[in-house]
Amino acid sequence: MEKIVVDVETLGKRYALSHQQRTDSIKSWLLSAVNRAIANGPKPNVEEFWAIRGVSFQVHRGECRALVGKNGSGKSTLLKILSRIIPPTEGRVRIRGRIASLLEVGTGFHPELTGRENIFLNAAMLGCAEREAKRQFDAIVDFSGVERFLDTPVKRYSNGMYVRLAYAVSAHVSADMLVIDEVLAVGDHDFQRKCMEHLKAGLSSGRSAIIVSHDLSLVRELATHVTWLQNGRIVESAPIESDILQRYSG
Amino acid sequence: MTPDSPPEILIDGSPPSFREYCLELWKFREVAKMLIRRDLIVRFRQTYFGLAWLLFKPLILMAVMSFAFGFLAGFDKNHSIPYPLIIFCGVIPWYFFSNAVPDGMNSLLGHMHIIQKTYFPRAIIPCAAVAVDAIEFLVAWLLFALGCLWFGYLPGWQIVFFPLFCLQLLVLCTAVSLWLAVANVKLRDIGNLVPFLLMSGFFLTPAGYTIARIPEPWKLLYALNPLVGIIEGLRWSLLRGMDGFPETPVLLSLAVTLTIGLAATRHFLAIEASLADLA
Repeated sequence: MEKIVVDVETLGKRYALSHQQRTDSIKSWLLSAVNRAIANGPKPNVEEFWAIRGVSFQVHRGECRALVGKNGSGKSTLLKILSRIIPPTEGRVRIRGRIASLLEVGTGFHPELTGRENIFLNAAMLGCAEREAKRQFDAIVDFSGVERFLDTPVKRYSNGMYVRLAYAVSAHVSADMLVIDEVLAVGDHDFQRKCMEHLKAGLSSGRSAIIVSHDLSLVRELATHVTWLQNGRIVESAPIESDILQRYSG
Repeated sequence: MTPDSPPEILIDGSPPSFREYCLELWKFREVAKMLIRRDLIVRFRQTYFGLAWLLFKPLILMAVMSFAFGFLAGFDKNHSIPYPLIIFCGVIPWYFFSNAVPDGMNSLLGHMHIIQKTYFPRAIIPCAAVAVDAIEFLVAWLLFALGCLWFGYLPGWQIVFFPLFCLQLLVLCTAVSLWLAVANVKLRDIGNLVPFLLMSGFFLTPAGYTIARIPEPWKLLYALNPLVGIIEGLRWSLLRGMDGFPETPVLLSLAVTLTIGLAATRHFLAIEASLADLA
């Protein structure tokens, strides 16, 4: 039996939507406030909204699961829960091993700091000790190709240099599991190719990943499994060979 | 499970216990180190005087206060101790408190872009902000040491208690910052209110004068301000006991500090996981 790295069980996240109430006068506003205080019931103008609900799946070692779905289907909410940025309302997730979340490139990059300083800052944010960052330093610099500008503050970097350096740090954090949100769309074509190859190498060496992407050709190239979300519920969850992508896009 | 298999992380939305949270803070200590280093680097980059700013600011504040309270208000008549030294003992802690509290308070809001994108225990952010000011605070005592040399005045045995009062001040600043930082994320009014309170608080804190100026019947109420006990305690420890040990203010201050500390910790633990949702 393959080892389970991530086990998601009936996960749900509820938000309260507050609708704007017509308050024509201070009097009506006060009245409604008093009403709420006395009645002590649910606020009348607040609606419940489940960003995701009843979501379950497992990711085994070496698997790459792609989450697909339209905007607002709950993909990002799910990634944020897996990354421990927001807590779930119900259900639970069990993670075995180290998880690194790349929800954006260059989290924590500070414009006044040099490239070198930002590498260590960003690595720490991704849960990577300084010792480990030092060991990976040359590989990171090499991957990014910004060697000449290492001691220049990143505020003077071009856009391309900035994202290449940022991606290089995330790519070299050692983790059993990567959570990636559309961040492969960085840099020029060559650099994207390089990122893709790097990620594939990681997967074949036994890492796992959960990715979100609207780019179906990318999903086809990387993913072993696909989970299709709609309005916060799973429509279908299947291995990539089962033509799930045709059904999704068709 | 094999012994070397990595620990399991469980995400179920329940708040962590105090012990679990401390372990988590320890696990992510690198982040704190990096944030402190970043703030120190950024604070002095592209400045001509660099680290000298650490000494300039409290020195100027002390000079102004010696002038205002010692010379203008004529508070310095009754003591054999050089008045600037008495002022230093009040200015240095006040300067730390009045910087650390707003810095800590604004730190969570200022780091929302990071909080929304990556995980680490959020308490690291306000704690690191306070720590940066704490480093300035410790360096500022060099000024006091120089002042002692200048006036040919040496502290007595009481100086062994100096670190304890510094520690209490650090705990107080951290606790107040943790509390206000969370409150400020929920209710931005706090950010407007606190600078105003600090300005008023300056006059209710014995920074430019000593507690001896406070009329007897008001002393107890006055000492509810936890900074009173800390500052008078520092004066006692550094100025050869000054007017005798200020028991009541010190004990009151300890009680207030502990209460704020416990309340702030509890509040922070309950809220911290959902910070990203609150902003």
